[in-house]
Amino acid sequence: MQRKIRILMARLGMDAHWRGSIIVARALRDAGIEVIYVGNQMPSNIVKMAMQEDVDFIGLSSLSGNHLILAPKVIKLLQKENSGDIKVIFGGTVAPKDIPVLKKAGIAEVFGPGTPLKKIVEYISAAATDLK
Amino acid sequence: MTAALFNKNEVGKIGKAGSTWRDEVYSCHKEIKEKYETLSGFEVKPLYTPKDLDSLDYLRDLGFPGEEPYVRGVHPTMYRGRTWTHRQLAGFGPPEETNKRYKFLLHQGATGINGVFDYPTLRGYDSDDPDVYADVGRGGVSIDSIEDMRILFEGIPIDEVSVSLVTCQPICNISVQSMYFANAQNRGVPLNKLAGTSQNDFLMETAITIAPGVTPPKVSFRLSCDAIEFCTKYAPRWNPISYSGYNYREAGCTAPQEVAFMIANAVACSEELIRRGYDIDVFAPRLSFFLSAHNDFFEEIAKYRAARRIYCKIMKERFAPKDPRSLMFRFHVQTAGVALTAQQPLNNIARASYHALAAVLGGAQSVHVDAYDEALCVPTELSSLTALRTQQILQSETGVTNVVDPLGGSYFLESLTNQMEENIGSILAEIDSMGGIVKTVEKGWIHDEISAAAYQYQMRVESGEMPIVGVNCFQIENEKLPIELFRLPETLKIQKAKLERIKKKRNPVQVQKALDAVTRGCEEGRNLMELLVEGVRVHLTEGEVSQALRKVYGVWNPPLF
Repeated sequence: MQRKIRILMARLGMDAHWRGSIIVARALRDAGIEVIYVGNQMPSNIVKMAMQEDVDFIGLSSLSGNHLILAPKVIKLLQKENSGDIKVIFGGTVAPKDIPVLKKAGIAEVFGPGTPLKKIVEYISAAATDLK
Repeated sequence: MTAALFNKNEVGKIGKAGSTWRDEVYSCHKEIKEKYETLSGFEVKPLYTPKDLDSLDYLRDLGFPGEEPYVRGVHPTMYRGRTWTHRQLAGFGPPEETNKRYKFLLHQGATGINGVFDYPTLRGYDSDDPDVYADVGRGGVSIDSIEDMRILFEGIPIDEVSVSLVTCQPICNISVQSMYFANAQNRGVPLNKLAGTSQNDFLMETAITIAPGVTPPKVSFRLSCDAIEFCTKYAPRWNPISYSGYNYREAGCTAPQEVAFMIANAVACSEELIRRGYDIDVFAPRLSFFLSAHNDFFEEIAKYRAARRIYCKIMKERFAPKDPRSLMFRFHVQTAGVALTAQQPLNNIARASYHALAAVLGGAQSVHVDAYDEALCVPTELSSLTALRTQQILQSETGVTNVVDPLGGSYFLESLTNQMEENIGSILAEIDSMGGIVKTVEKGWIHDEISAAAYQYQMRVESGEMPIVGVNCFQIENEKLPIELFRLPETLKIQKAKLERIKKKRNPVQVQKALDAVTRGCEEGRNLMELLVEGVRVHLTEGEVSQALRKVYGVWNPPLF
């Protein structure tokens, strides 16, 4: 039997908004993806948990504006742990000019406000096929 | 004795004629959609007539403004006597910067202050905590000690302007409100002269913005009641709680849930204050509410009206107050942030205007209009000025302030108000059957209800059933952002430097004494605000207070998903 795709989802830092991340988590679960939702975390914990849980993806969420500081940290820590193969995606409130900055830092994809859930599910399914 | 508004015979005739019209005339035409319902899922008919209000008793069910059951408004004159407060939310960066924004808004005609705090402050962390460096100054102004509070309100006449402190969570409120009060006293303004509101809602901490280091629901609830008790004794013009239905709604619940959760919360607080030995009429007149104005125009107006009526009934039934003000549902409205779009952001001016119109037609006491850029960033000076001007245009140019409850009597609106009230009532009964609001939070029920509703809402957006202009229809491909975005001023360095300076300068013996008093107060179950209004004077920081509380009470693992 094929192993399910696994994603760890976390809200970055102190961000207060859970609506978006929980909706995405539910949609991914409904699409047959295994979701480990860990709430608010700092980058070091996110990476630790992602490795423990042996996930294929990390989904980061933030609406607070802390993304340029914390999201690249997650990537750096993953690389340090030789876990750079875990793909990190980001969703939340992001100014358009920040998207290329995040991508340059190694975030695989950025989903801004108003992104259809379908698009996120499709992205993960396609990217998971690439991983295999 | 009750008397239906409409003559029974006539209603019968209208009902019959209505059915004939529906079957023989209306049904010959096509409708655009398969089903018609409100945003919260109430089915909507094509037409309403007196038949829909056949049991409406005017004096019992509607009455007059300023009289029970307050459906038509809590004041007899409403906006003819006093316009709603134009209270624009503001807060970002260090207090030095937010102070300038407050002054700017007041200078431009805002009639109240609405101060929001940054994420670390709301969660009870100081700016130098290792877990918060990325969020300092974000989403609100950073407050660590009374020194920040002094700077935040420097040059602002706090004895004249009413100030709303959006402290959200009791763990934040217990320190931050204490700092505000102590700062006022330092400025020579006695507490009984202070007018304002603090949010102080335990649902914010345990179900709505759940975060690390949450105190258990019972503790959070107790802290909120401490603030109510303190104000009841010393600051009678202060609204010590603002049940934050707005945020429940932003998190995803429906309109009737928004009202039901708030009222269940207010009932619990009232029971607790009575248990502490206070008469209902001493504190209930100062319980205040904070609601959303979402997209469904009539549903929102019905919501405000239904909330007033059911609150009046419930307070009367359960607590039998003598002061009519204990029965009045007074509320602030913020236009729905969640309804704004990052796409084509200037469209948000139109959205927020409709939202604000609903709030005013629904009889709000105070309004904040969202800025057009809020789906992207903290409002710029231009966007917040435009939002303020939206209120001013609504007030001075449209004529909507001339008549009290101008939509009262609409067959549709009255019918929707009834439906809304009934639904709120059944949610309240469900909460009662589970043992009240604190128990439902402990079980994770509130969080589950809200997240399920949020998911359903999103499904309706995804299917296209709920059109959102610029998002799932009328999109612009490769849109170029037509606005300048806000840039956060330097905050972390400034706050850290200030904290360092304060910690060096303050008297460590006094600080330790104040901290010990807090710990002892927790253990002895004393009112913590009584201790903190003194404690923060010696520059005890917010983070130190929260840490002391967490040490005594532990932290709660909230439901996550």
